Amino acid sequence: MEKLLNELSTECCPAYNLDSDIEIDVQVPENLKRNLSLGLPNVAESDLLRHFTNLSRKNYALSTTFYPLGSCTMKYNPLVNERIAKFDNFTKLHPYQDSKTIQGVLEIMYNLEKDLCEISGMDCFSLQQAAGAHGEFASLLIIAKYFKSIKQKRTKIIVPDSAHGTNPASAAFAGFDIVPLKSESDGSIVPEKLKEILTPETAAIMLTVPNTLGTFEKNILEISKIIHKNGSLLYYDGANLNAVMGMVRPGDMGFDIMHINLHKTFSTPHGGGGPGSGPVGVKAFLEPFLPVPKIESKGNEFILNYEKPESIGKLKAFVGNFPVILKAYVYIKSLGAKGLKNVSEQAVLNANYMLARLKDKIDVPAGCRCMHEFVLAPKALFKNAVRTLDVAKRLLDCGYYAPTVYFPLIVEEAIMIEPTETESKETLDTFVDALIKIILEEASLEPQKLKDAPISTAVGRLNEVEAARNPILKWK
Amino acid sequence: MNYTSQNQKDRKEMIEAIGVNDVSELFDVIPKSLRAKDLNIAGGKTEQELLNCFSDIASKNKVLTSFRGAGVYDHFIPSLVSEVIGRSEFWTAYTPYQAEASQGTLQTIFEYQSLICALTGLDTSNASLYDGATAVTEATLLALRVSRKNKILISSALHPEYIQVLKTYLENSKVKLVFLDVSRDGAVKKESLDMNFDENTAAVIIQSPNYFGVIEDMQALSVITKKKNSLFVAVVNPLSLGVFKAPGEYDADIAVGEGQVLGSSMSMGGATFGFMAVKKALEWKMPGRIIGQTVDKRGNRGFVLTLQSREQHIRREKATSNICTNASLNALAGCVFLSGWGNCGFKKLAEINISKARYAYNKIKSLKGFKSKFGGDEVFFNEFVIETQKDVDRINKVLLENDILGPLDLSAYHRTLVSLGLPETQENFKKCLLFCVTEQRNKCEIDKLVEILSKI
Repeated sequence: MEKLLNELSTECCPAYNLDSDIEIDVQVPENLKRNLSLGLPNVAESDLLRHFTNLSRKNYALSTTFYPLGSCTMKYNPLVNERIAKFDNFTKLHPYQDSKTIQGVLEIMYNLEKDLCEISGMDCFSLQQAAGAHGEFASLLIIAKYFKSIKQKRTKIIVPDSAHGTNPASAAFAGFDIVPLKSESDGSIVPEKLKEILTPETAAIMLTVPNTLGTFEKNILEISKIIHKNGSLLYYDGANLNAVMGMVRPGDMGFDIMHINLHKTFSTPHGGGGPGSGPVGVKAFLEPFLPVPKIESKGNEFILNYEKPESIGKLKAFVGNFPVILKAYVYIKSLGAKGLKNVSEQAVLNANYMLARLKDKIDVPAGCRCMHEFVLAPKALFKNAVRTLDVAKRLLDCGYYAPTVYFPLIVEEAIMIEPTETESKETLDTFVDALIKIILEEASLEPQKLKDAPISTAVGRLNEVEAARNPILKWK
Repeated sequence: MNYTSQNQKDRKEMIEAIGVNDVSELFDVIPKSLRAKDLNIAGGKTEQELLNCFSDIASKNKVLTSFRGAGVYDHFIPSLVSEVIGRSEFWTAYTPYQAEASQGTLQTIFEYQSLICALTGLDTSNASLYDGATAVTEATLLALRVSRKNKILISSALHPEYIQVLKTYLENSKVKLVFLDVSRDGAVKKESLDMNFDENTAAVIIQSPNYFGVIEDMQALSVITKKKNSLFVAVVNPLSLGVFKAPGEYDADIAVGEGQVLGSSMSMGGATFGFMAVKKALEWKMPGRIIGQTVDKRGNRGFVLTLQSREQHIRREKATSNICTNASLNALAGCVFLSGWGNCGFKKLAEINISKARYAYNKIKSLKGFKSKFGGDEVFFNEFVIETQKDVDRINKVLLENDILGPLDLSAYHRTLVSLGLPETQENFKKCLLFCVTEQRNKCEIDKLVEILSKI
């Protein structure tokens, strides 16, 4: 067990210290002065290094294990991206520098927007949003503003029940009412059912293509027609874009607006939960509503244009998560058009290969083909009170991070697997072997082994119920 | 480059196992009419080519000696910070859904939460938000949820981009924002606060140090707010808390702010992180991830994501926020940054900022054609406003020729605020300069700045 920082604290010399070549002379009026003890730990640098290094080793990460988290696209994060993002001429820039002194930054952002347009078939992009959900939210504000501008009162957003939780949360956050749409067992939408719930108040439908069950929306052209005939907009959740790069473009399918997760499809690391980046792409008619500032090319120079009267405004301070934007752009330049298409081919090949090996043994609600990910429904195989959670924990003992579990919500005891293109056949094979053994053999013959799992991790199965019932959220 | 790892033989075997003739068959479900043409995207560079290419692009940016702050600051970053956040076990991990295999991330966030609570003097911190601007917005939404009222009093000396973000988020709501005037001394007018309350006022939002660098009398403002049964939201610079009152000391209900100053590089103002700490009574209403301590089967201490029934993956449209990915790695940098100073060292860091800024302030305001905007009695941390009779554009042009990022010209500030709906009665900031001096600037650099200014 690794101690906590406050338990490591001693009377030693702390790790950092600064001197000043100007005399320290501070007079603070009593009513403004801090009297409360700071309560910071006192730990030497050597001990801190050990502390954090030891903690890092308690993590499973992409750099140590296969991480088949469905819908998260845990692909290899190229090291060259990280190296370039550490250049002083990128990290030591202030956002309010004169645009003449940040031409490199603006060039990268401008060109990334262009490349994202080409990949997605949209006309314009904004890179300001800090994450996928942030991009969704910005998109919904754009949709709201658009309808306001044409003086239509549309207050409803349709969200399929297979969608990520962020979709309904973002729509509600933007002030819309949510209309849930029941999807089929493969996650697809039946056009007739869609028609039934469309009203003159429908602003948009949010679709993830391929959907969270890993199937391509085969009726997309008809859906697009129905939605547009109703005067509504078609929104593309780009969480699963890794399946279709160079194959099909959201813009060509009829989508009006979309977001992309640079930290999924474009290889930027997840950092244990951010920072991410959620660019928003739109068709030309929605361009006036994009956030400010807009990066424009004027003569031989790139500029930041804040004068966009119809813009929804700003989504965060400054221009966006630039290091993430930069890494995504380096990634695109490392691959080019051919490499990007190859990414999607391999991602889909890897997923289908795993599915081919599993489909006759474990139930697959969406059928025997998939795009870049698929969902297993192992419930029928479970006896002895074994649950998907136990399978996930047992996988940790086999040296794998667990797939996404209990999502999408429409599949009971779901196991959602996304291998990505950067894993080898050998890795896929050994993982599939382990999964089959756990579900088909151990679950019936040695259920206790699953219930006791994990045993090889830093701690054993943790009591989450107790954590919520009796919250301890900081040092005592 | 090619980051895939199958060879031809593997590919062939996989295709056979699936039962297709070719990979392209796997995409047959996509209607032919929709198939993309070949993309027009240059690339396919090797690592060496990428390094050269991006060195060239980077050279079009200029690193300057910074006397500019306004929300993003040039601060010292200890070597340990980059070492720790450079551990691939941290930066290549995902959100810690599988707790037992994510104890590194979970314990460090728990430590981060503890450190933020210590610093702010409040009870509960979340795991981080996108940045300072969105943290202010989330705090406002939290206050609206808790109080079920719909009016917010907000300092007009709050960072204008934070105001912009807040207005963007509230666009489709019925919330009424009322801006509090700033007086001649650069701080919020207490009478303005008193005057604008009504029974519908959910919260008061005050930034200190404010956009002009001035330390507000948070204690007094909080007392007025509490008398009116509203929530007090403090927007603070965490480094300033080494010296100035902690939000917990003046009974703030929510403290939020920008975490960039705690170990993140400037990087154009992102990626950074926003922090939020609240009183115990509000913790179930907080947005974002929260980490809690628990035990495993053998009674060992461990950490998990907790209070999850607030969040979007459980509650969907009824969640407290739509936030999912936040700014975990930057919060980790914040954790490592805060863990190495000790109480005295952290206080000294704040004092060095104050002393250096005060040194520069005294020198600049005594130059001919320069004077303090707020009369000279204002208390500030590391930023201050100077009014000048000189040509502002020329000042920054000459400084730039000397590789110095000069003060921020505040002349556009007034226009920005009016466009945001603030009253016309605001102080005029034409010919005003917002300077920033952190511990990173040495005496020699400050003296050089003063010398150049004296010659303009």
